[in-house]
Amino acid sequence: MFNAIVSADTLQATLDSVSVLVDECKIHLEEDGLEIRAVDPANVGMVDLRLDAAAFESYETDGGLIGVNLSRLEDIAGMADAGQLVHLDLDEETRKLHISIDGLEYTLALIDPDSIRQEPDLPDLDLSANIVIEGKDIDRSVTAADMVSDHIALGVDATEELFYVDAEGDTDDVHLELTRDDLIDLTPGDAHSLFSLDYLKNMNKAIPKDAEVEMELGEEFPVKMHFSFAEGQGRVTYMLAPRIQSE
Amino acid sequence: MQLDEFIEGFEEDEAAQRRRLAAEKSYAITDHLEDVEQQFEAAVQGDSLFGSTAPEIFVGRSGYPNVSTGLLSPVDTDAAAAGFATSGDWYQEGLGIEDVLQRRTGMVNSTQTTSVDSVSAGGGRGGGGVHDVWNGFVGVQREVAIADHPVDVEVGLDGTPEMDVSFDDVGTPTGPRAHATDADLAENPHVPRPVEKTLSDDDWRAEGAMAYLYRRGFDVYDINTILSAGALGQASERSLVPTRWSITAVDDTVGQYVRGTLRNADTIDKPELWYNEYMGNRYWVVLAPGRWEFELVEMKAPQSVWNPRPETGYYMSSAHEGYEGRTAYVEETAGAYYAARLGILEHLQERDKQAKCLVLREITDDYWAPVGVWQVREGVRNAFDGEPGTAQSFRETLTAIADQLPVTLGQLRRKSELVAGLQSQLSDF
Repeated sequence: MFNAIVSADTLQATLDSVSVLVDECKIHLEEDGLEIRAVDPANVGMVDLRLDAAAFESYETDGGLIGVNLSRLEDIAGMADAGQLVHLDLDEETRKLHISIDGLEYTLALIDPDSIRQEPDLPDLDLSANIVIEGKDIDRSVTAADMVSDHIALGVDATEELFYVDAEGDTDDVHLELTRDDLIDLTPGDAHSLFSLDYLKNMNKAIPKDAEVEMELGEEFPVKMHFSFAEGQGRVTYMLAPRIQSE
Repeated sequence: MQLDEFIEGFEEDEAAQRRRLAAEKSYAITDHLEDVEQQFEAAVQGDSLFGSTAPEIFVGRSGYPNVSTGLLSPVDTDAAAAGFATSGDWYQEGLGIEDVLQRRTGMVNSTQTTSVDSVSAGGGRGGGGVHDVWNGFVGVQREVAIADHPVDVEVGLDGTPEMDVSFDDVGTPTGPRAHATDADLAENPHVPRPVEKTLSDDDWRAEGAMAYLYRRGFDVYDINTILSAGALGQASERSLVPTRWSITAVDDTVGQYVRGTLRNADTIDKPELWYNEYMGNRYWVVLAPGRWEFELVEMKAPQSVWNPRPETGYYMSSAHEGYEGRTAYVEETAGAYYAARLGILEHLQERDKQAKCLVLREITDDYWAPVGVWQVREGVRNAFDGEPGTAQSFRETLTAIADQLPVTLGQLRRKSELVAGLQSQLSDF
């Protein structure tokens, strides 16, 4: 059983955070909220999302697992105006999700969860640097780097106590340094890793510009980015594997 | 001005320049063209009725969708026509640039201008229930395209051919061109069964039909001609496809099919270096363990063909794809990207392995006239003879070849995704 009412904004933000990486996902319906974990087909980017029951207008479930086609569900959610409510009701018999938005009824066929790529384990990483940065600074870095290159280096200089971004293109370069004062917080430790902009651009799309993003970085290690949405009742962790320069 | 128009204009200027260069570089070719002219006069009987054997067709792209479409046939009617068609055999026979130009300029391209939609009687796309056209000039051309050997034809020509050579960066050069008034088959051509099957099934998507022909042992050269003649694919989509586009489409489609078969293959265990040299092109192929990733980096010598800025030295271009392939057409390296990728994928398929693959192509000054991307395809396909050089790491391999390359590793790193860094997986940590 699953029956919930949620604002269109919250639903859209949830779906967008996942659809930047995958087309289909499993949604775990837990008593205290939704959980989604997914990895892209190349096993390079991962999302771990949680939306508390408190983020919903009403939320009732006795647990369960459903598989959804994200772009379909996004299209339907996109029919609602900001602030409108979306009613979700799972029909266990037919394995269909009934969605209603202000009188508009949509019945969504679900996907067999077993046919969806297995959910990854969350690697336990010991990352040396921790940065808390505004979403808009990530956006600025990614947008500028994309003008010159297809990849971007993120690093921390522990001695100078600063976070930096580097992008090298055919002829042009981009460099950005943010000191402790420019950041919300910094726990220094030497770190430097190179990432594909294709992935980072997609993740950036889903990061609110006004969000506080906690970033964990290491030396040629995956980056982890944590942020909240839906007034703190939704939480996303992205993890992205680096391009290895040393091998 | 629209960017594509701008580029189109640029390409034409370049083509004219290359033609001049080719003329300067090889008087042999211009001499050869004179011989061809004489042979042509001898071959034409009565009122410009030209009996010959056509191994191949050509579909132009300028003026699309109204294009020049033609039958290519050797002017020397005693010559073995099959050897004039572009194929991997040319590599095995060790043909040089001049040999290719001689063969190609020894064929007359008898052309008519027609709409690409003329292959279906309903007059075009979305016509619904239309039937393939097998009469008239286009019909004869399509028969030649699907036959498994060169076909005897008689072509009525309007005037004498223009003695010229046309170059393209993707297609093989073409020689003298004449306007055809009509064409007739002088025999009943034999069509292989798998081709009949793809031809008759007009619900079969072109991609699937191409992969089927490839699995049945047809090389991309054959498939390209069949696609170009609009002889496969869903009924509403069938049309003449300009040769240049068709070559790239087939390399891309067949490559995607082969890549799909390797999605779950094991990876190679250690880095490998392979090398080949053909027609003034040098190929370093570096394979590294890991999931599929591919990149072509081209380094064009100042006096080689297609270097747009000789004054600034070596000109570099590159294109890259990750495990899931590309969604956009390559902006740099064009057809060479898909041709090189196919060569590598075929090798990996033989071993049932996947790898990260970097192809470094140096185009030296000795590559003085473009012969088409078949040269890239065969250069890479044949790079895998004997034993590879092996090293402990990808980077060590690059350092080892650094001295041979015309650019520094620093320049290469700025241009190449793979040299900048190899994509790892989350499960590696």
